[in-house]
Amino acid sequence: MRTALLRCAFPLVKTHGFTRQTLSLAALALPDSPHSEPLSEFAVSALFGPGLEARRTLINAWLDEGIEQMGGDAIQSGDMSVRDALKGRLKWNEPVLEKLPEAFAVLSTVDTPIPFPIHVTPALAHVAKVAHQACVLSGDTSVGTSWYARRASVAAVYAAAELHQLTSPTSAYQFLESLLESSASAGDVISDVGQYADYIWRSWRAIGKSKGLL
Amino acid sequence: MHRAVRRAVTSLSRRRYATNSGSDSTTHFGFKEIPASSKETLVKQVFSSVASSYDVMNDAMSLGVHRLWKDEYIARLDPGNDQVGVQTRCIDVAGGTGDIALRILDWAREKHADRDLSVDVVDINPDMLEEGRKRFRRTMYHNTPQVSFHVGNAQELPPAEFPSNTYDLYTIAFGIRNCTSIPDVLKEAHRVLKPGGTFACLEFSKVNNPLFAQVYDAYSFSVIPLLGSILASDRDSYQYLVESIRRFPSQGDFSEMIKRAGFHTGRKGWRDLWGGIACVHTGVKM
Repeated sequence: MRTALLRCAFPLVKTHGFTRQTLSLAALALPDSPHSEPLSEFAVSALFGPGLEARRTLINAWLDEGIEQMGGDAIQSGDMSVRDALKGRLKWNEPVLEKLPEAFAVLSTVDTPIPFPIHVTPALAHVAKVAHQACVLSGDTSVGTSWYARRASVAAVYAAAELHQLTSPTSAYQFLESLLESSASAGDVISDVGQYADYIWRSWRAIGKSKGLL
Repeated sequence: MHRAVRRAVTSLSRRRYATNSGSDSTTHFGFKEIPASSKETLVKQVFSSVASSYDVMNDAMSLGVHRLWKDEYIARLDPGNDQVGVQTRCIDVAGGTGDIALRILDWAREKHADRDLSVDVVDINPDMLEEGRKRFRRTMYHNTPQVSFHVGNAQELPPAEFPSNTYDLYTIAFGIRNCTSIPDVLKEAHRVLKPGGTFACLEFSKVNNPLFAQVYDAYSFSVIPLLGSILASDRDSYQYLVESIRRFPSQGDFSEMIKRAGFHTGRKGWRDLWGGIACVHTGVKM
């Protein structure tokens, strides 16, 4: 029932935001709903938690739905590029763009200011999930440290693109394109540097062996 | 600390709480097994005996902590509506002495300026209800439609007096463990609540930490009955109260019972207070 209510709440976010009122009104949108009134505050608290906890539940459910929607019509992983997957995710944001800054702020707040006044893990988890899904949909076959490096790179690109979208929605997709291109060339440069460093290390090791030091 | 709606009925409750033994089923009364038909009378005797000193004993036994639990219980429910003219109907079962009802009304008034909310206080024991009436005579709610007192059985609320799909909030604090059939209480709660109405139960539960549990057991079984004999001259009644706590199902089991009655709970369905000494269970009728 919680899942059904959350799904019914998504279309209401555009008009009511990520609020407890949205969850309350979601009961009226349930199929064959016996409810003639929105849920009371204590019902929302009982189902989703008190205070901001209910709002966080709604926001996280909406973000998770965004991950699900990234695939679009892709039948299986590998049918989509990272570019298209990230664009799909940015598209999910469009109807509720003006509500998102507050949503991210709610996720970052903590109930007690000690030891830290804000909570950064939700933001990192959000971009990490998007990046992972984008890599899966693109059929990424990286292993080992490359797996992490690839996802970290995509996460950084997406985080920057999403922040840009919040302030300048019309140029968000062009910004994403430019970031992906820079990321690809940066990846080549890092790979070249890595190869060169490996060459230098082998050379010094050979010198050390020839001198009897190793 | 302990509030009860008591009734022993002749019908069987769930196997866990009543056993078949030929023609007369049995149930627990603290640690004793007794005929189910006599539980109501015995529990009624307990609470008639403790009614006049109930609040004093609660303070003494819990060192005043029960007030914090009840305050948190109400704070989490946050009853009341900011919109003028919207009536929120609450029913407080096993609410004899009226302390939960008073907290609900005060919270709605102070936090939401809500003077339309009403509470129907129900208890099977007239002595406990009289204590409640006495308490309310000292408040601004006396002789107002915001509070009313009813003698009633939590397992069988008279439909004429308590119609189906009526209430927005059903509360029962430290009372459900004294009922013969908890599933029947839950079934009645589900009946009288409206769709979207909330069931909220504050009750003693299982302490999760084994070390703390030992300390708690030692305190419960030695200090509380002793206080009962000193302050209320009634050791046996308080011995029963302590034993009945131990017989109540664990948090997970009780949450399952609530779901079986047709309620929908949150992800966990309960919130422990003080390591599980008390617990708030909630469920919504959808």
